[in-house]
Amino acid sequence: MLIIGEKLSIIAKRVREAMMKKDKGPIQEIATRQWKEGSGMIDANIGPAEDGGEDLMQWMVTTIQEVVPLPICLDTTNASALEAGLKVHNNEWGRPLINSTSNDPERFPILELAAKYNSQVIGLTVGKGGLPADAEERAGIAAEIMARAMEYGVPLEDIYLDPLVLQIATSQDHAVKVIEAIKMFQEMNDPPMKTVVGLSNISNGCPKHVRPILNKYYFLMLMNAGLTSAIADAHEMAEALNEKKLLDDVLAGKEIDDAAKMKEIKKTLDVIMGNTLYAHSYLEM
Amino acid sequence: MALSGVEIFKLLPKTNCKKCGHPTCLAFAMKLAQRQASLDSCPDVSEEAKKILGEASAPPVRPITFGAGDKAVKMGEETVLFRHDKKFVNPCAFAIEVKDTLSEAEVSGLCEQVVSSEIDRVGQKLRIDSIMITNASGDAAKLEAAAKIVAAKAPAVPVIINTENPQAAEAAIKLFADKRPVLYGANASNAEAMAAIAKNNKAILGVVANGLEELSALTEKVKGLGVEDMVIDSGARKAKDIIEHNTLIRRAAVKKNFKPLGYPVINFMQREDSLHEMLLAGVGITKYASIIVLSSIEKWKNLVLFTLRQNIYTDPQVPMQVEQKIYNIGEPKPESPFLITTNFSLTYFIVSGEIENSKVPCRLAVMDCEGLSVLTAWAAGKFTASKIAQFITESGIEKEIATKELILPGYVAILSGSIEDKLPGWKVTVGPREANALPAFLKTRTA
Amino acid sequence: MAFTPTKETYAGKVYAVTIGTGDRAVTFGGENVLPFHSFEGTTPNRPLIAFEIQDVPPSDWPENAQKAFEGVSDDPVKWAKYCQDELKARAIALRLVGTHPDRENRSPEDAVKTVKDVLAAVSIPVIILGSNHAEKDTSILVAVAEAAKDRNCIIGKAQEANYKTIAAAAMANNHKLIAMSELDINLSKQLNILITQMGFDKERVITDPMCSALGYGLEYTYSVMERIRLAALTQNDVTMQQPLLGDVGMYVWKVKETTASEADLPQWGSAEERGIAWEAETATALLISGAELLIMRHPKAVAAVEKIIEELI
Repeated sequence: MLIIGEKLSIIAKRVREAMMKKDKGPIQEIATRQWKEGSGMIDANIGPAEDGGEDLMQWMVTTIQEVVPLPICLDTTNASALEAGLKVHNNEWGRPLINSTSNDPERFPILELAAKYNSQVIGLTVGKGGLPADAEERAGIAAEIMARAMEYGVPLEDIYLDPLVLQIATSQDHAVKVIEAIKMFQEMNDPPMKTVVGLSNISNGCPKHVRPILNKYYFLMLMNAGLTSAIADAHEMAEALNEKKLLDDVLAGKEIDDAAKMKEIKKTLDVIMGNTLYAHSYLEM
Repeated sequence: MALSGVEIFKLLPKTNCKKCGHPTCLAFAMKLAQRQASLDSCPDVSEEAKKILGEASAPPVRPITFGAGDKAVKMGEETVLFRHDKKFVNPCAFAIEVKDTLSEAEVSGLCEQVVSSEIDRVGQKLRIDSIMITNASGDAAKLEAAAKIVAAKAPAVPVIINTENPQAAEAAIKLFADKRPVLYGANASNAEAMAAIAKNNKAILGVVANGLEELSALTEKVKGLGVEDMVIDSGARKAKDIIEHNTLIRRAAVKKNFKPLGYPVINFMQREDSLHEMLLAGVGITKYASIIVLSSIEKWKNLVLFTLRQNIYTDPQVPMQVEQKIYNIGEPKPESPFLITTNFSLTYFIVSGEIENSKVPCRLAVMDCEGLSVLTAWAAGKFTASKIAQFITESGIEKEIATKELILPGYVAILSGSIEDKLPGWKVTVGPREANALPAFLKTRTA
Repeated sequence: MAFTPTKETYAGKVYAVTIGTGDRAVTFGGENVLPFHSFEGTTPNRPLIAFEIQDVPPSDWPENAQKAFEGVSDDPVKWAKYCQDELKARAIALRLVGTHPDRENRSPEDAVKTVKDVLAAVSIPVIILGSNHAEKDTSILVAVAEAAKDRNCIIGKAQEANYKTIAAAAMANNHKLIAMSELDINLSKQLNILITQMGFDKERVITDPMCSALGYGLEYTYSVMERIRLAALTQNDVTMQQPLLGDVGMYVWKVKETTASEADLPQWGSAEERGIAWEAETATALLISGAELLIMRHPKAVAAVEKIIEELI
């Protein structure tokens, strides 16, 4: 399981301010922590980055790689910022990963960059206008992305298929559809296709104390389905792995000693699998 | 049961020859699994694979095209009971009944009404789709005469011939032989003759029985006679029975893959009271009808039915979009607040509703972001500073307002500086993140 | 292949709610099947339609809706009696829209007087609604809930921002309560949980997932209602088994299709029939998706919906 450390996102206020001021301190501190806690790659999300995206991405890549011997997942919709980042990426520490191409024609040229810089690339299984309705539609889009990758000369081994995790608070039925998609994606090639998710989006919009619980058990359910990598908080995922046996026991119908924990797992599984309707207070019911 | 894309893929030639129009056999297999492609497009598939795939990939409700040309209507292909589960696929057709007891002028008049019924709503062209010619006279010659008028006055409109009399049917249906009409009126006693006429004229056969058990037996019989395309009528006429029968038919097809009821449903909704007829048709629109037969088509009624059908058949995964423009809410003055949001219709409905609530007249700029909500649109690079600036500049709004101030959704506060850079002379103010905070926000500003 | 109908047995059922007192009390809800699926379960009660009236003259209603209440709508008491006696209303919904700070800004005392007068004049059940101003509604609804004590009314609407005060007032005075959220099934469930966590009886709540008019987002309300019903019935979710409200009139009689004249839009046909049809069709679609309680304006639209209900049950 490859954990791609997620905390360096422009959406987080502290990170955004550091990016604006080009203050290396917070960026390097967060990157180092993600690395120490088990990340094998660091996600650098600079948003759409219309203005000065090239500089910003280069600054992020070099700033992180100054202190952390890991490859970077370059996360932006701005193609020239991606290219700038790829140019300065230190491949000694592993090949970079582009986040992402998709079935939206605007994102096709990203594959050109992947081929040119020998980078790996995430294939987000969404098209233009509208979300995929179910696992089958995600697999259909995945097949088209795979075909396009071959055209552009990107080997299938370098594609990470991303089924697009949606917020459980607003799109609960997709939680289980994403798990199904992860299973389908692997079957679409031999050796199996690699998969990735932006994990914490599952709990986006949920109360603070609920978020790590949903993140952890959703991660474990995806892992059971064969997920190969996740953009996630390494600390939370390390905790999740410690609880894997508990979750597997509950899934197997076994009693576990910690009754409160068992309730928490059961209720969370019911919400993930769509057996109960999600509400912010679902753990209290 | 349906096969998965990968299971289908294993049965394909794996040559990636692209002759089917898809880039790889895998991509083609995935489309087959979603029932968005036909196996016929693959020239090299083995006979054995055809046999396995043909049975497994047949959709639960048979796809049928009714009529020909631009005004043809697609029916069937439905896969769910509730629109939120995926979507309802092919909007039902509205048919107006024309009885052969009417005068020539009356028949012509109805034809003209149908032809001119088309209206445009949110970018879609909506109309009365079809004419049903009913042999109310019992006289074959009268049916043929009425059919001739329809064929002349409304030549492109798909037609249903309604008679239980095979002789009458034959004469009338011939007029539409190359236009995929429906021949309605096959029952247990005339099935052989009606099936033969349908086959000879490439018509869709409308079969009617008393209840679902008889209907299932009848469609099996008709299929045995060599007719594949049918629309079915269980005999239900009362609202309560229509819901029951249509629901049981859809369930049998979708949940049990029960082939004898896997056909589009035709419902007869004609009533004296036009408003009642409209509400009954609403029951049919929401509950699985493929053809709804009406007795009258007043303009106000058409507008209601077209709109309901459009609402119910909207794909829940594709966000409904509002037209990109600057909307006036209340009667804004030059100094009224000016806000911006994206064109996701739910966002628009809620934001404009809250502005109305506030009673503060405003201008609301709605920007085309492919129907995404504010934060998603920003993350997808569709609601960015330069795109917002371009939209505001091109809108020409500058000339209408007193102070160049733009109120930005709180979720994209990050863009405020960058928009100011790109819109010289403008001030960007960050508004609330959630729409329900708008009334308080707007009022403190005007206080 | 012989046909055997696939009938569903549902695990849950919708709570039955009774409002009003004496022999004019009315019960709605109580079914253990999807709407009008009487072929596989029981629907003991007919959906209830309440006529909407308000504390101030309906100057903001389009002409065709106003016209139906000419001569009575200048006085809420006359208006209420007209609905009860002439239109044979089974319930009325009194909207205290005049309390809105941007309207007449009527005081809690004014509202109490109106409520008392209306309650004294009619014997049918009354739904008492604020002006949807979250802050003002707290003071208004607390006062009128007390004034209507023991008349077993419905008080509304409690929203996330103000539910505590309003629910407490409804509880203290033995009323039912409308819990409203904005077209979000998960927030609707959450609000019901929060209200019941205060000790409010879950069987005294009516859920309003927010109405939208035909052509203006109706499909959202339709699907949220359908999903709430399915959660109540198939998942036996006790936080979602409250009857559903469609507050139809208010959302319908402001859209272009109910306000534009035939002279302006000849292709849309008669304005009066169009407005009535718009309200009746919105209401019918919501009944089919799960509403048990409707608030409506035009008497002809109400009559049409009652007629189709008759055919549906």
